[in-house]
Amino acid sequence: MNNELDIISETTTKIFSKHITHELRQNINDNNTSLINLWKDIEEQGLTKIIVKEQFEGSNLPFNSILPVIQISTMMGVPVPFTETIICNYLFSELNISPPNGMITFAVETKNIKILNNKVSGNLLSIPYLNLTDQVIFITDIDKEKHLVFIKNKNGKMEATKNFLSEPRYNLTIQDCEILTIKKLNNNINFNHLGAIIRSAQMVGAMEKIINLSIDYCSQRIQFGRSLSKFQAIQHQIAEMAVELAASTAALASLNNFNELTPKLEDIAILKIRTGIAAGKLIAISHQVHGAMGFTKEYELSYFTKNLNSWRNDFGSEACWQELLGKSFLEKSNLNLWEYLTNKSI
Amino acid sequence: MSKYNFPSIIETNELSNLRLEVRNFITKSINDGDFSPTADAWVFSASPDFSKKIGTMGWLGMSFPRKYGGHERTALERYIVTEELLASGAPVAAHWIADRQSGSQILRFGTEEQKNLIIPKITSGECFFAIGMSEPDSGSDLASVKTKATKTNDGWKLEGRKIWSTGAHIAHYMIVLARTSPASKENRHEGLSQFLVDLSFPNIKIKGIEDMTGQRHFNETLFDNVILSKESLLGEEGKGWSQVVGELALERSGPERFLSHFTLLEKFIGEFRISLLKSGSSLVGKLIAELQTLRRMSFSVASMLQNGNSPETQAAFVKELGNRFEKMMIESLREISNIIPLYEWPTSLQNLFEDATLRIPSNSLRGGTTEIMKGIIARQLGLR
Repeated sequence: MNNELDIISETTTKIFSKHITHELRQNINDNNTSLINLWKDIEEQGLTKIIVKEQFEGSNLPFNSILPVIQISTMMGVPVPFTETIICNYLFSELNISPPNGMITFAVETKNIKILNNKVSGNLLSIPYLNLTDQVIFITDIDKEKHLVFIKNKNGKMEATKNFLSEPRYNLTIQDCEILTIKKLNNNINFNHLGAIIRSAQMVGAMEKIINLSIDYCSQRIQFGRSLSKFQAIQHQIAEMAVELAASTAALASLNNFNELTPKLEDIAILKIRTGIAAGKLIAISHQVHGAMGFTKEYELSYFTKNLNSWRNDFGSEACWQELLGKSFLEKSNLNLWEYLTNKSI
Repeated sequence: MSKYNFPSIIETNELSNLRLEVRNFITKSINDGDFSPTADAWVFSASPDFSKKIGTMGWLGMSFPRKYGGHERTALERYIVTEELLASGAPVAAHWIADRQSGSQILRFGTEEQKNLIIPKITSGECFFAIGMSEPDSGSDLASVKTKATKTNDGWKLEGRKIWSTGAHIAHYMIVLARTSPASKENRHEGLSQFLVDLSFPNIKIKGIEDMTGQRHFNETLFDNVILSKESLLGEEGKGWSQVVGELALERSGPERFLSHFTLLEKFIGEFRISLLKSGSSLVGKLIAELQTLRRMSFSVASMLQNGNSPETQAAFVKELGNRFEKMMIESLREISNIIPLYEWPTSLQNLFEDATLRIPSNSLRGGTTEIMKGIIARQLGLR
C-alpha cells in the first residue's frame, strides 16, 4: 500500500507544480482555463477517487491514505475544491452510489432545511468554491437520522461570504431545488468528524508551507548587514513554529492507526485542538518574521495564513472540541485522568 | 516532512498488560506505606529501598542484555514502566539517571570489564549515577568545560569541578566530561573525553547546594587531582562530544519532560471534578489534548531509539513542548483557582500546587535550556 501511496504522492506533486502559481490562486473563477486544465489533470490521474471503491473506478485505498495527499495539496496551495471533492466522492462510494464527475463541494452547515416531494428548500452555509461548480452535497437530519443530499445549484441565491478573504465561500439559499440523490448515512460515518480531520490535515500542510516560506524569506532578506535568519531572535521564532508543527503532525499521525473510518472521537478532538492551537501561533509568528511583505496580497504567505484562519473555524473550533473532550473525560467518573489517558478503548 | 515526523506507535495488548502489572505494584506499594506520591519525584524523591524493589521486579535496565543482568525487553516496554512510575509520583530519583542514560552509555561505549562491573548493579537497583556535564563556568556552552584529565603512567589524573550534579551525594558513579587535549581552532568539540568515576575515590568532595525550594538534590562535585586507572576512560579518548550528544537524546525525550507534575493535576481533578464539569471542561480538554499529543511523541521517540536512530531533534521537540505544557498546566490550575479559591483547596493539594509552582522554573533549565532546544531545532531547519 505504501508504494502505491508514494506513487500517488509523487503524481500529486507533479501535477500541482505544473499548474499552480500564486497568480492562479488570485483568479479563482470558472473562466480561468488554467484552473480547468488543472482540474482535468487531477481527475484524469484519479486523484479524487483514491479512497473510492473499485466498482466506481476508485483506487480503494484505506481512508487515511488521503491524509498525505491532502497535506501535499495544501502545501502547494491548490485553489480548487480538491479536498472537498475527495470527501464527497468518498461519501457517495460508501453509500454505494456512483460518484458524479467533476468538482463537488459541500455545505459546512445548514439552516431551515425543508424537504418535500423530492425538492429541498433552505440555507446551505459556507460552501467552498461554489463559483467553480454547481454540484453540492449537504447533510441533514430526517427523523433524527443523518442523510446525505446531493443537488445541482441552478438558480439558488448565492451570497459570497467574507471567510477571512480566504478560499471563496458562499451561502446558498435554495427554493424547491430538485434532489438528485438522498440517502441515509451509514452509522460509522460522521460528516462533522470527517470535516474536522480533513481540515486538520489541510492545516498541517499549510503550516509546513508557512515555515518553508519563513525560512526562505529570512534567509534572503538582509538587514543590519546580515540575513535575518542569522539573528538568534529570528531563529527561535522559526523554531517555535516548528515545535507547533511537530505536535500537529504527531496528532495527525495518530489517525494512521485506523484503516477503517471509525477513528475515536477523542483522537479527532485532540487533532483539531492541537492543529488549531498551532495554527494560531503560526499565523502570528510567520507574519511577524515576514514584516510588511507578508501583509501584501502579492506575496503568497497571506494566502496560507488566511486559509488557516478559515479551516481553524470549520467543523468546530478548538473551543468546541476542548469543551467536548473535557466533558467526555470528566463525565466518566469511574476513571481518573491517568486511567482515561491510558485507556485504549476510549 | 521527516523533520516533523512522529510515526504513530500502537500500544499492544502485551504493553497494556505490563502497564497494569506496574500499576498494581504501585498501588500495593502505596497501600503498604512504602511511599507517598510527590511531584517532580524523579529529581526530588530518592529511595534506595524502592529502587531495589523496582530492580527486583525487573524494571531497571529493561532493555539491557541478559548477560549483564538486563532483561532484553524493548524501549517501548521501558517507556510504559517509566510512564507509570512518573504518573504515580513514585520515588525514582535514586536510580533515574543510571537507568535512563548512564547504563546505556556504558553499554554503548564501555569495555567488557566496565559492563560486567556496573550494569548488573544498575539493573538490580543498587548502583546510582550522577551526571558530570555542567561546571561553574560551563552550562549551555558545554564544550567549554575546563575539568581536565591528564595522562599519567598508569592512568589519568582528574582535576576540576562539576556543578548541579543532582543526586551525587547518594550516587556511586559519575560520568564526567573532561578535556583530555586542547580544542583545535576549527573544532571546539575535539579533545573531550568521558570518564567513569567512582565517587568513593579519594580527593573527591561533594558539597550540597540548597535550591530555592529549600531542598538539597543539587551538588557541586570537586575533583582534586583524583587518580584514575586507564580503565576509567569511557569510550574513545577525544570522542567525548559525540558520545555526550547521544546521551542527551536519551535525557531529553522521555515522559519526565511532561509528567513531572502529573500527580498535582490528577489530585486537582479528583478533588474538583464536579465543579470542573460545570465551568472548567474546556481547560481540562486543552490539557488532555496537549498531554496526549506529548505522550504520543515521546512514545514515538522511544521507538526511534529502539530502532537504533539518534533522534536528537525529535527529543528537543519533546522537551520543549513538555516544558511548555507543564508551565501551561500550572497556569491553567491558577486560572481555575479564580473559580475555586485557593484557600478552599485541601491543604495537601495546596502544598502540592505551591511545590510545583516553585519547582517549575527548573524544568526548562535541566537537560538543556529552552534556548538550546530552539537552537538545535533551528540548526535542523538549516538556519544555523
